Amino acid sequence: MNIDNENKQILQMRNVSKIYKGKGSLFRSSGKDVIALNRISLDIYKGEIFGLVGESGSGKTTAGRLIVSLEETTSGRIFLDSREVTALKGRELKAFRRKVQMIFQDPYQSLNPQRSVYDTVSEPLKIHRMGKASDRKDRVREALKAVGLSPPDDFLFRYPHRLSGGQRQRVAIARAMVLNPEFVIADEPTSMLDASISAQIFNILLTMRNRLGVTQMFITHSLAAARYLCDRIAVIYRGNLMELGPAEEVIKNPKHPYTQALIDAVPKFGHSKDARRYGTLLSKDHEVREDKGCIFYPRCAVADHNTCPRREPGLSQIGIDHWVACFRQGSKESGLTPFTYGLAEGR
Amino acid sequence: MPLLEVDNISIGYHTRNGYLKAVEGVSFVLEEGQSLGLVGESGCGKTTIGMALMGLLPPNGSVSTGRILLEGKNILVMSDEEKRRIRWRKMAMIFQAAMNALNPVQRVGNQIAEAILVHNPSLEKEAALSQVEGLFDLVGIPRERLTDYPHQYSGGMKQRAVIAMALACHPKVIIADEPTTALDVIVQDQILEEVRALQREFNIGIIFISHDISIVADMCHEIGVMYAGQLVEFGPWRTVFESPAHPYTKALLSSFPTLTGKKSDLVPIPGETPNLINPPAGCRFCDRCPEAQAFCKTTPSQWVDIGSGHKALCCRS
Amino acid sequence: MTVRERFPLLNSFLDGWSIFKQSLLGRIGLVLLILFALMAVCSYIPPLIDPMYNPMTGVDPAITCCTPPGMRHWLGTDFMGRDILSQLLAGARVAFMVGISAAVMSIVLGVAIGMTAGYMGRFIDTLLMRLADMIMVMPTLLVVLILAAVFGQLNIWTIVLIIALFRWPGVSRIIRGQTLSLKQRPFIEAAKVAGASHSRIIFQHIMPNVLPLAFLFMTFRVTSAIITEAALAFLGFGDPGTVSWGMMLQWVWKTGHMFKAPYWLLPPGICISLITLSFYMLGRAMDEVLDPRLRKEDQTD
Repeated sequence: MNIDNENKQILQMRNVSKIYKGKGSLFRSSGKDVIALNRISLDIYKGEIFGLVGESGSGKTTAGRLIVSLEETTSGRIFLDSREVTALKGRELKAFRRKVQMIFQDPYQSLNPQRSVYDTVSEPLKIHRMGKASDRKDRVREALKAVGLSPPDDFLFRYPHRLSGGQRQRVAIARAMVLNPEFVIADEPTSMLDASISAQIFNILLTMRNRLGVTQMFITHSLAAARYLCDRIAVIYRGNLMELGPAEEVIKNPKHPYTQALIDAVPKFGHSKDARRYGTLLSKDHEVREDKGCIFYPRCAVADHNTCPRREPGLSQIGIDHWVACFRQGSKESGLTPFTYGLAEGR
Repeated sequence: MPLLEVDNISIGYHTRNGYLKAVEGVSFVLEEGQSLGLVGESGCGKTTIGMALMGLLPPNGSVSTGRILLEGKNILVMSDEEKRRIRWRKMAMIFQAAMNALNPVQRVGNQIAEAILVHNPSLEKEAALSQVEGLFDLVGIPRERLTDYPHQYSGGMKQRAVIAMALACHPKVIIADEPTTALDVIVQDQILEEVRALQREFNIGIIFISHDISIVADMCHEIGVMYAGQLVEFGPWRTVFESPAHPYTKALLSSFPTLTGKKSDLVPIPGETPNLINPPAGCRFCDRCPEAQAFCKTTPSQWVDIGSGHKALCCRS
Repeated sequence: MTVRERFPLLNSFLDGWSIFKQSLLGRIGLVLLILFALMAVCSYIPPLIDPMYNPMTGVDPAITCCTPPGMRHWLGTDFMGRDILSQLLAGARVAFMVGISAAVMSIVLGVAIGMTAGYMGRFIDTLLMRLADMIMVMPTLLVVLILAAVFGQLNIWTIVLIIALFRWPGVSRIIRGQTLSLKQRPFIEAAKVAGASHSRIIFQHIMPNVLPLAFLFMTFRVTSAIITEAALAFLGFGDPGTVSWGMMLQWVWKTGHMFKAPYWLLPPGICISLITLSFYMLGRAMDEVLDPRLRKEDQTD
């Protein structure tokens, strides 16, 4: 990470919640509301790659979609460069769109099958009226070269169905990078790709950061990928932030029982039988009667049966930039994170 | 006599663009109670082999050469009736997409009971259902979920139900094709643990097909690495992973991020897999291989025996 | 870069053609269609040779009743001595005109309404789709008959317009469904994240993906328009100033030649069947061309 930028946040989320209203049907009065994100607060610093790790249904993709304003928050605020994202309209929104881009999970779905590589990659330039037609072609060529599609002229007029999965994802990255954005969200960009191709994509993302200083949020279900790519990672479970800290620290020294359970579960090249296990996951879930308390309590093997099922733990600092939401690590009951920006909490 | 022997098998598909040689000259042997992993990237032919073993190749695909011997009998020359008899009873499959393997409009318990009844027509329905209860206990699904429909199950439970179905007729061989790909790590871990326990208990031979080398390493005694339709390296898991001989295996291992060990740079494999309609004449990996020599391009690669069951399809190892 | 890669439209056309060629139905349909197109073009020739070959007004002065095929009139003449061949040729022209213009109109209407409903959603969607439902359940023929009874003889273009107005709801339902599913696709979201406006998303991203389907439906709509027009004309509600195949059949019927003059009855009947069949076969073959499963590269693993 660049030293100059170290304390400068590019993105702040404050108590961001997203609740999907259950659909009431004609015969059933109302469905159940689904809490996709529950009061998430975090900062992302300029020039870092921030990993958001979680299982399916953890709300990690929702978080990304809220940040790029594809969906609206239910409550809470998101700031990009100290400007509130949720309030953007019209020209300001368009300027925001130029700065923040997203790379989607499925490269087979994220490219319009009817448009050539050139059409796709040059589209953001056309939308933001950047450069003349001839300049655009050069910029598209450069973007394609930067993602390893060379010679670019071989690809300019190809259609998605004539590209492999890895090539498609590179085109999607080129589309995201062609505007020189400040902040890019990569939503599981390799979950549909083979390992060797994934490594190519990881390296492209790393190069973007190292050469161009593009801040990134990397959304993934794989702790190993997050470890490789990210400076800091946040572990999220059913919409709640469980642990946040420097990547290596969280993986080598996890403090939250859920993070520990995740690490237990990752196959370790045949060594898992002799590997030390944290054993924080219950084989049979606890019964819970009320809808409060720690979200992980029902599956937690090391829970305190007095506190954990009754109160919701907030994030507490336990090391340098290492935060955990667990009463066993000294968390207090959670409240709202104050709406301050300019100075990060706990820094 | 080995439980299952695949001898020099080649499989191809007739496609709109020509004849696609999906698998070429693959041989391996599976012993009782052992598990054998086939690992490789998409398009390497691993799923095709699984389908051929079960006799479930699509209409445009066929086995062109080779033999598949189950307990010494070649299943490729069997009549449909004989094939039907060994399918599920001797050899069962756990499919990639568990969600699609269950009938959405039938209760899960009944589905599995029916699978048992088809193969044991003399059995009473009650007896079959009680067998299903036993299976549910084995794979760790609560008995009261017997009467649920598939959509009421979580992803992990569906996968468990599919495993129960595969176990229903006490097969000797189970082919598991990416059984946990769609699942989260924690559920994956639990299910793999379950499979290991069941294998020990019933002495089942498992062919484990996956793109994820870390899972294969966790699950299997022996490992076959596949690339572009060919088996390129074969051996006991520890030797294959600790001292890989084929450059592709080495490359695959170094492109895989891990939690343990030091955080080194990932080395991606450059380029793309070759087209299997017109495969290259020489070694199929040579275009992406860091150790390739001039002759690799022209001469087909040969098996090299490295000792203690470890071999590689590379002239340089 | 090859020529094919330079011109994407040409490229996708050639790709489609290579699949189309393999379909027997498509080839037969195309050949038939070319034959009918030739007939339509040739319909301008007979009146130039002799005014008695004018399909509507040309009467052979030597003939006063229905005559079988001969050298002077290859397919014979009708009850007042008009040449059946030239009527048949003119009928092809009318069939194309009616079929294609009604189909184009109903497709344009259907696509516009379907896309609007699908993209806007909510209130507008409900409103447009209820309207579509209402029109869809109305019996077209009956309504036209009533209109004809009220307003007297209908002009051929009025008939075309009515057919178009009654035939869009089916198209719009399909297009709406397609738009709804496209709207959720990540490439639309990617365009949104890039800052694309609504009009850009509609015209650059959604439209190119629904047009092939609309085109496919057009071939089926041509069929139904030709049949509707023929039915109207046969029932006596056609445009009396136009020689269409349906009209010819009506003349056969009205003058009582139904079972007496097969040389008069069969040609228009066969032509109606064949032209609808050819558009239908064309549509089926295009269906295959547009099938995304055939477009994809073959996958094995």
